[in-house]
Amino acid sequence: MTDFDALLKRSFAEAHEPVDDGFTVKIGQAVSRRENAVKLRNLAQTIGLAAAGAALVYGGATFYGAFGQEAMATAGLEVARAHGALSATPSFGVAAQSVLQSLGTGMTQIILMTAAALAGGAVVYRTTQE
Amino acid sequence: MASRGFQNLGEATEAALIIAAQARNQAAFGELVKRRQGWARALLRRMCQSHAEADDLAQEAFIKAWDKMGDLETPAAFPGWFRRIAVTTFLMAKRRQKAVFEEIDDASPIASEESTPEAAAGAKIDLEKALARLSDAERLCVTLNHGEGLSHAEIVEITGLPLGTVKSHVLRGTEKLRRLLEPQ
Repeated sequence: MTDFDALLKRSFAEAHEPVDDGFTVKIGQAVSRRENAVKLRNLAQTIGLAAAGAALVYGGATFYGAFGQEAMATAGLEVARAHGALSATPSFGVAAQSVLQSLGTGMTQIILMTAAALAGGAVVYRTTQE
Repeated sequence: MASRGFQNLGEATEAALIIAAQARNQAAFGELVKRRQGWARALLRRMCQSHAEADDLAQEAFIKAWDKMGDLETPAAFPGWFRRIAVTTFLMAKRRQKAVFEEIDDASPIASEESTPEAAAGAKIDLEKALARLSDAERLCVTLNHGEGLSHAEIVEITGLPLGTVKSHVLRGTEKLRRLLEPQ
């Protein structure tokens, strides 16, 4: 290090620093405003999420009101058919055939839905892999 | 700002203030700003042409620091961490102003500095006035090297400038300051 480098370092070290002429107060106010804005944004997000949740619940309840009873009745009928086939038939072969027939009637939709879900899942999996 | 958690903010250590500020204690951060504002503003005033611009950038840097306090790993790292924020804020402002840092004007006449009125009169020029005579890039590199004690490699890391450019700026800036500051 040359003499001038040392002089320069000393000059930097000895150079005066600005006095606090309200700078700290300005930063404090800016930080306060920022925190208030963050709180407001969080509140708006919470309200938004609550509204979305309420809309989902309302939609689900409406859907159940329209189609729920019919779905439950169909499911109950299928269970009753299966149970009837099992209890009323004299032989195992006839019983099995009846059960299969009974299940087959109601299971068609379930199998279709399962297949659709598997296909959808496969598409999603493929997409995420890509 | 509430000073919950502290009996007397003025007596708290900087490490304690930093930890409290990381827990979003605005009063602790305010005290930290109070203690560090002189250094931060002086650093930015040496880099900028105007004090008003430097103070605006210092304010921006402190607010960025408040937002990123959680990223600071240890209180001891605060000065270096904040210096990086300040320099980045300065560089971003210069980019907004379309200032070019990478270019070095090799033809810029250092020798002609001697013909300035101050040099001609043999007047003693203070550091701030001398720094104002350097280019933005020279001022930045000289301030970080001589003022903040950073090595060339550290300046490269903090500014993103190539090593050769940093060395050139430090060398040329120092040479200009020598001509301006040394007694005639």
